Amino acid sequence: MAGAIAVAGGATASGERVDWRLAAPLGLTYLFFFAAPFAILLGISFYADAEQTRLGLGSWVKFYSDAFYLKVIFDTLKLGFFAVAATTLVAYPLALVFRASGPRVQRVLIFVILMPLLTSVVIRTFAWIVILAREGVVNQTLMTLGLTAAPLNLLQTELGLVIALTQIEMPLMLLPLLTIMNQMDQNLVDASRALGASQWRTFFRVVLPLTLPGWIAGATLVFASSTTAFISQTVIGGARLVYLPALIYQQATVVYNWPFAAVASLTLLFTVLAGIMALGWLGRFAKT
Amino acid sequence: MTIIRRREFLAGAGALSAAAAFGLPARAAGSLTAAIYPGTWEEAYRNVVAPALKKDYSVDIAFDSLFAVDQVAKVRAARGVPPFDCFVLDPGPAAAAMQAGLFEPIDASKLSNAGKVPKGLVTSHAVTCNAQVVGIAYNPKKFATPPKSWADLFKSPYVERLGLTGFQTTFGTVSLIEIAKAFGGGIDNIEPAFKALKEAASKVAAIAAPAALPGLFQQGQIDVMYGNTNTVAILKGRGVDIAYIAPESGSITFQTTLHIVKGAENVDAAYKYIDTAISAPIQDALQKAPYNMVPINTDTKLDPALDIKSLDELSKMVTHDWTKINPVRAAWIERFNKEITK
Repeated sequence: MAGAIAVAGGATASGERVDWRLAAPLGLTYLFFFAAPFAILLGISFYADAEQTRLGLGSWVKFYSDAFYLKVIFDTLKLGFFAVAATTLVAYPLALVFRASGPRVQRVLIFVILMPLLTSVVIRTFAWIVILAREGVVNQTLMTLGLTAAPLNLLQTELGLVIALTQIEMPLMLLPLLTIMNQMDQNLVDASRALGASQWRTFFRVVLPLTLPGWIAGATLVFASSTTAFISQTVIGGARLVYLPALIYQQATVVYNWPFAAVASLTLLFTVLAGIMALGWLGRFAKT
Repeated sequence: MTIIRRREFLAGAGALSAAAAFGLPARAAGSLTAAIYPGTWEEAYRNVVAPALKKDYSVDIAFDSLFAVDQVAKVRAARGVPPFDCFVLDPGPAAAAMQAGLFEPIDASKLSNAGKVPKGLVTSHAVTCNAQVVGIAYNPKKFATPPKSWADLFKSPYVERLGLTGFQTTFGTVSLIEIAKAFGGGIDNIEPAFKALKEAASKVAAIAAPAALPGLFQQGQIDVMYGNTNTVAILKGRGVDIAYIAPESGSITFQTTLHIVKGAENVDAAYKYIDTAISAPIQDALQKAPYNMVPINTDTKLDPALDIKSLDELSKMVTHDWTKINPVRAAWIERFNKEITK
């Protein structure tokens, strides 16, 4: 998938003419339903008070001069980083297994990988409550095995949230990775092994650079999706872990401080964008 | 790679126009759109109120399922072109919406059932459709003696099994005010509640989003929480070990009210809807399992599952002045965020 995006970018640059009018419906939709509301959002953020009577930088100053809100930004980014790291660690071995297996096993694997996408995120999230709760599957197993005397607190912790997000976001990492894994030339891997490189060395010097565009696409999706995963963050994370999406919801709908909510929304947008741009920058090291 | 095949383009365009068609609200003659809380409320109003409204007045109703705060936010955002005709609100959002001038006045003479509702429950801009009673819920299998007061919640063995929630919801806010009172404070002095919360934060079983509490109780993550009788009755009906107990200082009560949205298109249908909702047969159906809503029509005989003996009991329960709470609530929410988070 990511390969397709990268290649497509190359094709347009090399001069293939595309009729711009084909993009007009989507372009106009974006203009009306994204660009215009975005301008309004930006405008609202420059009101200094909740009643939107005074213009000023008050909301921005309040947000960025308060250590609590800076920590919320940091925690949100950290959550995205952990989700990307965890999905990467699980996805690469699975992608390698996928590449090595026959077409029938591949079909089964694809089905298993896509399964989470076919159920609603609410159900996936609730399922994780059942698994991680005090009397849930994990704790009962641990206690039956005698590994722990008292049930562990897994819900309402960052660890529990990262575990749940890893499963919930996994397809977004795997699908681009599998596509690019299948496109990779087996001869290059064989050549590396034939020339005496160990399996690890082959992985780090050949497989990883060749599949980097796929990983970047996957990491971008996982990062953007987990930092904005409102439902999972509030239900599994609980009220003691505050992330930007829950803060925006609270400020917009409970407190009615729209300027402050607008500042938080723009902050979320720009921090996620910054993360995506950092990942894109990594893409320059890819060997395609 | 950039060539889009005609068939793909048409499929995309088709999907887009189909999506647009679904978005159009049904606005036939004798119809209205009413906001309703998601969950039990939506289920109850769809299954009980909507068929009765259709049968008695041949009015079609569409529901927009939104929490109280979301309803107010949506109407404010629509700026004069209301997306629905009727609100259903808790006292906090209702007071805020009243101040923002989002209600049409109510003409009680247009409601045939207005006389069956206790005095004070039909006002110039609101019709009470249901009362809520808030107190302590606990698991009787886990505790031989139930927690008896708000202060008990913060003592062992209850505190270790307690599920807490903040000021986002009406029941959370009023419970925390009562907790403040139990430790010597009140609406004007919320400090004692925060002190108790901060000390308890590291011990409690969960500090959760309000909507997550019933699920956590059902899964055994928590065994004590504050909540309304309605939630308790529903969980009990699904086989969860849960019991309601009125704290020594008394249960809290507040009203859920129906309002006509300022500038609503279907005012006549809205009156018919409100009148149906407060009629005796409907109130009776709504108080039964699985809905268990506390009725306000005096002709209704109270169901024993509700833990209330008579409607007079409601007038003796603890109530709160939301015009005092609303101005300070934002600060409480911010403080809860900052002090209770990790």
